[in-house]
Amino acid sequence: MTDLAKVAVLGFGTMGRGIAQVVAASGRDVTVLETTQELVDHGQVKLDQFLAEGVRRGKTSEDERAAIRGRVTGATDVAALAGHDLVIEAVVEDRDVKAELLTRVAEVVGPDAVLATNTSALSVTDLAAIVPASERFAGLHFFNPAPLMPVVEVVTALQSSAEVITRLEAFCNDIGKDPVVVPDRPGFLVNRLLMPYLNDVVQAYDDGLATAEDIDTALELGLGYRMGPLEMLDMIGLDVHHHATRSAYEQLLDRRFAPPPLLDRMVDAGYLGDKTGRGFRAGGGIEPDTTSNGGAA
Amino acid sequence: MSDSARTVGVVGAGTMGTGITVVAARAGFTTIVHDVDAAGLERGLDTVRGFLARSAEKGKLTHEQAEAAQANVHGTTDLAELKAAGIVVEAVHEDLATKQELFGRLDDIVATDALLHTNTSTLPVTAIAAGSRHPERVVGTHYCNPAPLMKLVEVACGRHTATDAYERTLRFLDGVDKVTVTTKDRPGFIVNRFLIPWENDVIAALASGLGTVESIDRAVVGALGHPMGPFQLLDIVGLDVHKEVAMRLYEQFRDPRFAPPPLVDQMIAAGDLGRKTGRGFYTYDDDRLFGS
Repeated sequence: MTDLAKVAVLGFGTMGRGIAQVVAASGRDVTVLETTQELVDHGQVKLDQFLAEGVRRGKTSEDERAAIRGRVTGATDVAALAGHDLVIEAVVEDRDVKAELLTRVAEVVGPDAVLATNTSALSVTDLAAIVPASERFAGLHFFNPAPLMPVVEVVTALQSSAEVITRLEAFCNDIGKDPVVVPDRPGFLVNRLLMPYLNDVVQAYDDGLATAEDIDTALELGLGYRMGPLEMLDMIGLDVHHHATRSAYEQLLDRRFAPPPLLDRMVDAGYLGDKTGRGFRAGGGIEPDTTSNGGAA
Repeated sequence: MSDSARTVGVVGAGTMGTGITVVAARAGFTTIVHDVDAAGLERGLDTVRGFLARSAEKGKLTHEQAEAAQANVHGTTDLAELKAAGIVVEAVHEDLATKQELFGRLDDIVATDALLHTNTSTLPVTAIAAGSRHPERVVGTHYCNPAPLMKLVEVACGRHTATDAYERTLRFLDGVDKVTVTTKDRPGFIVNRFLIPWENDVIAALASGLGTVESIDRAVVGALGHPMGPFQLLDIVGLDVHKEVAMRLYEQFRDPRFAPPPLVDQMIAAGDLGRKTGRGFYTYDDDRLFGS
């Protein structure tokens, strides 16, 4: 028998959509909750586009596409979540919004349902404290794009029971993901390591160490990274990284997590990376002085 | 084209020196590799010969190409034989005084327009250049290991490096099929500048219980697409080598993020240096009584 067979995803944004697709691909029925029918429809259209692209590239068969599509149902009423075994919350990164929604959802699904949050920046332990029977609460941190990224961080809140963590690990394996169990600390594991590195690169770039392209080329060719750090920042979105690293900084008070001034300014200017067509690499970057040979100051 | 423009000198027949010798000889340069130690030179020449032979066996080079490259290679223990070189690449051990003294001696041997390249990874190019009476011809060219296979060379000018020397250097490296990036003369240039604090942070995360060796490697490879996990890489590099590079950067930047975490000292004290000792973050010897 399949554990956690009936799954609900809260939020039909980029992450919610990706998670719904992955879960549906494992044969489970997925209900995706949004606030309006418009947002449900928008999510379905985006899901269709992603699946169509998968078919076009030969990553997904036509049958798989149709099956996944058939298992994902939209909803705008929390009452539709009654009887679900697992709820994965993936709404906006706002503590109060998540808290209010999780409270309502917990009432509907009952005390036996497992509740998980896809937050990357908030305290899982704090969110767990909001719901009754906090021991069934944990983090399930998917990476973007969820259908393509193999790893999921299973985040253990202080209250999470060992049984729930074991079930979520098994669930991840069952949906084709590689679970990594991590404690609930700011940034968990991957972002905890990634953020200071990205901030360090931004500061060194601002200090004129090398051009954006040369920094990326050096790390791609020198270390075999699939993508250089500045291209990665453009892809993630400078605002997204800014929000995450600032949140970690506020919790850790460790200056390595503080957004470097150039990052602040680029967000101020609306240079958010690929999505706005301008970032460190996107749109020709911000054109620093590259005429110097790197020698005399 | 003059002979000097087609002749490269390499000083130091260790891992990097022999790799750079292959790079230059394979690209058609007459390449004279020097080592102070006759036995070390012979080992280095054997390494070059072995690499070129394997390249031919694997079909990376034709037999003719491998033979032509081999014919370009000459060894010497007499520094004066580098007289004909238009470029001398130093790849001696990472010691400032040794490199400075070498460049001072080369001033008396090579032509005035010959370039002096240093393959230093962690020392200031400017400080090495100060050993030459012509610091304007000194350029940092940091190759990655193994040099014949890795495309990247980090190019760094010292404070007095001439623009012409920099531009000739880029042309040379382009001619030996390398991809160059230009960086300021800062400790660790680009790759080590970002790798060392990253590795230190990963070690600190392990020490503070954020994950296990295995889970951290799995998370980094899966989530960030790195070709191997940070602990696998550290075991290959060697904990002792990591500490040495980290300490050099720490001493220059005076920033604690470059300082190796205490776990590194502990592992070195225990002799767990990585693959070369059979145990580092992972254990490589199944015969041990206690697995890690």
